[in-house]
Amino acid sequence: MTSDLSVPRDDAQADAATGVWSRMDLYLERAGEWLNPILVKESRQALKSKQFTITFALLLLCGWGWSFLGTMVGGRAVEIVYGYYWVLAIPLLVIVPFSAYRSLAAEREDGTYELLSITGLNSRQIVTGKLGSAILQMLVYYSALSPCIAFTYLLRGVSILSVLLILFYTFVLSLSASAVGLFAATLTKHRNWQVLISVVYLCALLLVGWIWSEELVWDLLRYESIRFDNPETWVANLAIVSGFGAGILMTIVAAAANITFASDNRATRLRIVMLLHQGLYVGWMIYWYVKEQHGEWLLVMSCFGAAYWTLTGALMTGETAELSPRVKRSLPQSLLARMLFTWFNPGAGTGYVFAVINLGVLLAVGVIAGTVGKTLGRSMGYFADHYAWFSLFLWMYIAAYLGVGRIIIAALRRFLHFGLLLPVLIHIMLIVLGVAIPMIIHGWYYGFEFYERDYSLLHAMNWAFSLGIIMDEGVEIYPFTFGVIAIGSVLIFVVNYFLAIRDVEQVRLATPQRVQEDDREIHPERFLEPRKPKSPWDEDD
Amino acid sequence: MIRPQPMIELRRLFRIFGDTRAVDDVSFEVNAGQVFGYIGPNGAGKTTSMRILATLDLPTFGDAFVDGFSVINDPDRVRRRLGFMPDDFGTYPYVNCAEYLDFYARAYGLVGRERHRALRHVMGFTGLDRMAEKPIRGLSKGMKQRLCLGRSMIHDPSVLILDEPAAGLDPRARIELRVMIRELAAGGKTVLVSSHILTELAEICDQIGIIEQGRLLATGSVADIQKQFAPHRQIRARVLDRVADVAQWLSQRDDVSDVRVDGELLRFSHEGNRLQEAALLKEMVQADFVVAEFASHEKSLEDVFLHVTQGYVQ
Repeated sequence: MTSDLSVPRDDAQADAATGVWSRMDLYLERAGEWLNPILVKESRQALKSKQFTITFALLLLCGWGWSFLGTMVGGRAVEIVYGYYWVLAIPLLVIVPFSAYRSLAAEREDGTYELLSITGLNSRQIVTGKLGSAILQMLVYYSALSPCIAFTYLLRGVSILSVLLILFYTFVLSLSASAVGLFAATLTKHRNWQVLISVVYLCALLLVGWIWSEELVWDLLRYESIRFDNPETWVANLAIVSGFGAGILMTIVAAAANITFASDNRATRLRIVMLLHQGLYVGWMIYWYVKEQHGEWLLVMSCFGAAYWTLTGALMTGETAELSPRVKRSLPQSLLARMLFTWFNPGAGTGYVFAVINLGVLLAVGVIAGTVGKTLGRSMGYFADHYAWFSLFLWMYIAAYLGVGRIIIAALRRFLHFGLLLPVLIHIMLIVLGVAIPMIIHGWYYGFEFYERDYSLLHAMNWAFSLGIIMDEGVEIYPFTFGVIAIGSVLIFVVNYFLAIRDVEQVRLATPQRVQEDDREIHPERFLEPRKPKSPWDEDD
Repeated sequence: MIRPQPMIELRRLFRIFGDTRAVDDVSFEVNAGQVFGYIGPNGAGKTTSMRILATLDLPTFGDAFVDGFSVINDPDRVRRRLGFMPDDFGTYPYVNCAEYLDFYARAYGLVGRERHRALRHVMGFTGLDRMAEKPIRGLSKGMKQRLCLGRSMIHDPSVLILDEPAAGLDPRARIELRVMIRELAAGGKTVLVSSHILTELAEICDQIGIIEQGRLLATGSVADIQKQFAPHRQIRARVLDRVADVAQWLSQRDDVSDVRVDGELLRFSHEGNRLQEAALLKEMVQADFVVAEFASHEKSLEDVFLHVTQGYVQ
């Protein structure tokens, strides 16, 4: 990786490499060929950079200084390890993520990104290369402080598992923050916005780092509150790690989508990750419900899931319906494939249906689990009787609001060119106005005090009030109003479903002959035998 | 006869920024192994169209193709075949020339011996082998241009797009660059090069395109364009006596135009071939004019450029 490049190696030299170190160097170089080129470049840069030298030297000095001071004053092992933690936390939770952010942002500001983007590296490799470089830096910092951590273990008085858990989560947090930083760097090319984003990002890093270090790490060390002998501790950790992993994956895919070329398919990978999120979320929701037997858990998880699909739905309904010829070349063709996979294609219509169906599945699973649990005599809390209605109307409201937003966005797209920010703002505005308008009208005529008895048809669009009523009373006491809400929602859903037909009707375009020729040159093995369908939803081109 | 596939093709290309048409309905083709010179004043649309070809920007309408691949739909395939040298490029801190080229070789997917061979070839070709360990930020403009050329050809692309490669170079570096471009074309590369220094392009280009305010005004070989847009030859005559009378005499002729007097020197355009030029000289001598010097040449590319662009050079 750091082999001497001043005179590029000639073939005979490579063959003639003798001796252990020469061979080792050769093997390492060959191994380096498989690494992401950005990781190689950034490692070379980092090893020569002043920032890394200063940070690393300071880390070592602080580590040694704290060891000396701690030993001199006879500090407790917990205090000493907490000191080491701080020495490590600053580079890990602030410097490394911010460097990752700056690394990509600077490429875009300095014009090096353009040259990088036209190489053989795709956007995903660029993002993961930068993330890999951040991981390498983290590992270097960890290795520098590992003797000090080992020293605290010898002092006794602190559980090694607690220390390892803290170090592991600090790593996970640093990795997540770096991924978010890379995503933030892809949001805009404009220097002014980048300055604003960098200030906000730095403040967020400091805040999260402080909360994690001061509120959680110190308590974990001081009270030794984690029971490592309880298997549920490890399951809970698995749930947390899977959550972080899913989040990091989404951030990387989103960052890569932001910087890929315009005709590329940016949506499908994101939707696959969303589906993965859904699977994980539903899995953990059911697991903890079965484990803890609390119905409230289902309600809370359903609400968070609804918020997730509202946000992702707002983003997806902001997509343009125009598919590039490149995307059209890989559209599903057979009936089964079109039924199943069309919703992964880019477009506002497919996005709307994808969000609404996934939300429906999530809520339905919750209702089924609750019903089964209730049958088995498990507690569902005070809302047990109304949970199904609540879920149904929650789905209807979100389907209606997303649908109305999507129609407005589609109308605006006829006259304006815009990205994803305006659609999200339109959805937020609709959701806020949905509550505010009925309340203002009500307040204007009857005063600004609201009781359940004040609920009427006027509040049909007020999702917060309506869902609160359903939770407490069910739907039976206002059958007309809830009937109107149901009919309205279904109508909006049906209208949007038919509007989505335009997206669904897109058919596969033939691959241009020149592209086929190129594929034959690159992958001759694929064209040796006539192509056969590999699955029921795979058809010949 | 099958028409050869052009290596570069711009097909009714438009790039519109607000009210400005940076590229306005530009179409041309460049065949394999040709050097195409792209001429135009600042802001004419050269860089914009080159950036579209390099897949760094998208056209508003139209499409461009490199080796038959669309820059809109198959930018990944275009990138494999194309090397782009922008007029201004950023560099990485703490990186030397060899590391810089090595990084791009890896980024283009070159591994093992193939990468080492590519590095050796490019560093030898650009003369960077003696500067391998020198930090990029300490390089002269000329060496930076060589490095950028080396970067753009590290993956052995069949098409090279060079945006103002000679800008800011001293005369020696320009001559060296010219030689390198000719060598690349001789090796089968298709080169699209833009420059302000028109004489330079006239020497190395098989074809040129003149662009102004986004519109392509003329394309073809230098000779064709000279013939098309400046059919008259320029004549310079030194007359030792009665210069004003000679100018008057010449102005009355139908085959002479644009007569200018500069001391003893007379410059004018003549419509005719070399034989007719000789006849003109004979007539001048027979008319008792003291002609001490008489030379003719075709109009230079600069003259043609000014003529084609109506002199609106910014």
